[in-house]
Amino acid sequence: MVLIWALPTLFGIALATALAWLGTSHSTAVAARAATGPVPRWAKVAVELPTSGTSFPAGSGAEIANAQCLICHSAGMVLRQPPLTQDEWAGEINKMRNSFGAPMPADQVEVLAKYLRGIQGSQSPSGPSILDAQGS
Amino acid sequence: MQRPRVLPSQPTRRRFLAHLGGIGLTGLLGASAWEATAAELVELPFANGRRELVTNFPQKGAVLLQRTRPPLLETPFEVFDQGVFTPNDRFYVRWHLASIPTAVDPSTFRLKIHGHVERPMSLTLDDLVREFRPLEIAAVNQCSGNSRGFFSPRVPGGQWANGGMGNARWTCVRLKDVLDRAGVKAGALQVRFNGLDAGVMPQTPDFMKSLAIDHARDGEVMIAYAMNGEPLPLLNGFPLRLVVPGWYATYWVKMLDDIEVLDKPDDNFWTTKAYLIPDTPFANVAPGQQGVKMVPINRMVPRSFFTNIQNGAVLKVGQTTTVRGIAFGGDTGVAKVLFSADSGGHWREVRLGPDVGKYAFRQWEVSVRLSSPGPHNLMIKAVNTAGIAQPDHANWNGAGFMRNVIESVSVRTT
Repeated sequence: MVLIWALPTLFGIALATALAWLGTSHSTAVAARAATGPVPRWAKVAVELPTSGTSFPAGSGAEIANAQCLICHSAGMVLRQPPLTQDEWAGEINKMRNSFGAPMPADQVEVLAKYLRGIQGSQSPSGPSILDAQGS
Repeated sequence: MQRPRVLPSQPTRRRFLAHLGGIGLTGLLGASAWEATAAELVELPFANGRRELVTNFPQKGAVLLQRTRPPLLETPFEVFDQGVFTPNDRFYVRWHLASIPTAVDPSTFRLKIHGHVERPMSLTLDDLVREFRPLEIAAVNQCSGNSRGFFSPRVPGGQWANGGMGNARWTCVRLKDVLDRAGVKAGALQVRFNGLDAGVMPQTPDFMKSLAIDHARDGEVMIAYAMNGEPLPLLNGFPLRLVVPGWYATYWVKMLDDIEVLDKPDDNFWTTKAYLIPDTPFANVAPGQQGVKMVPINRMVPRSFFTNIQNGAVLKVGQTTTVRGIAFGGDTGVAKVLFSADSGGHWREVRLGPDVGKYAFRQWEVSVRLSSPGPHNLMIKAVNTAGIAQPDHANWNGAGFMRNVIESVSVRTT
């Protein structure tokens, strides 16, 4: 589906690599070297990305999670988080609202934070938050 | 390096057959339908660490599903035992924003270079590969948050084990050569990189990253058009990706189509508000510590891993076993890798495999003979050519970045 240049390129790379290894074992090789192999012939790439069928588990606030969180990302990332306090969840939700533009009314934040804490059951910790709630 | 056989071990990796949406329907649907709803599950060794091993992402083999949309896929750790280059179809994937083009037509694709330059350019892929000197560089690409799941106390974000990294041979041209062709004007401060991806909401900040002008022109930052001798998988950035050797992957902008030279500091969200670390050694602070100066994440630190032995492995007393793994130096080469069979009481240097480049993975191996029965804690520690060693204690920061503590495995001899 893509290029026809892989085989000769791989052979060239294997040869060059073998020669380089013979000469440079146990010393620091130069970071970059001349490329070998033919110039690529480009071909169009078209793929299909899988979709997630996962929705949030039932509970008070699930309708907000399904309506808001799933606009930008699938549920799996949320469900795979470690236990967080309600305040920490509110921090995550407000990051989505303030930094990423989630169109969520302010009065839904605590309802959703309580729901997200709740679906992690009794594992959720208590005490002050230690998180810095960055955008990454 | 000779490839020893994998050790007999009692893997901590447990396999399950999960009935995904098909619980209780087995008898009704028959075997083939049941298989269609079954997936292999892997337990990453931290709470809430159960992950599906999936094969339904384009140009990808079996990878661990962290998130479907936008894709976040982890390399299963056993892949790193198979050699220093991570195969493209197992190479981890991490996108921030869900509007990702699913088709790229090389005949219409253009790489734009503009901003504070004499001659703005719009290059075709053929321009790029024919008009600039082609180079190859082997380099590790590692997510800033690789291993975040091991942070204690835990922090939110992608809950990776150690598979948010990979090493590839990148075929590329120098960013410097491209910038020189455009003619950077005096007074340039930074170079900002943007790819074809975008947020779903118009309000979502577009993902862009910047490098200082001197870094961008150091001759090592590259524009890659092939990965391990083949075009990049779309999910790893087809057709072009920035390669920033020795720096965390957040700078390695995928589907790169826009390079802008700036004459003032980049104030975009992803540079100023995200991917910040405490300005402390190993980005380490105490949980809850306030008032620490934050700076953009930058150079990688050394790491090393066991690849053919896991927690719970059983060895024979008095028998010699070859233990092996990989190491990398971070922003420079590996000077040495040290092994301890007694929880760090004594260290000895291990044998290193071929050096394929100072920014690449390097294999290591050591012959181990344990003479007393019982539990043993094996440790591995890399020291880079700048003299930086992996720390004894795990770093901690609120974003879960830059973990590089000495790795250990608990084994038992009988």
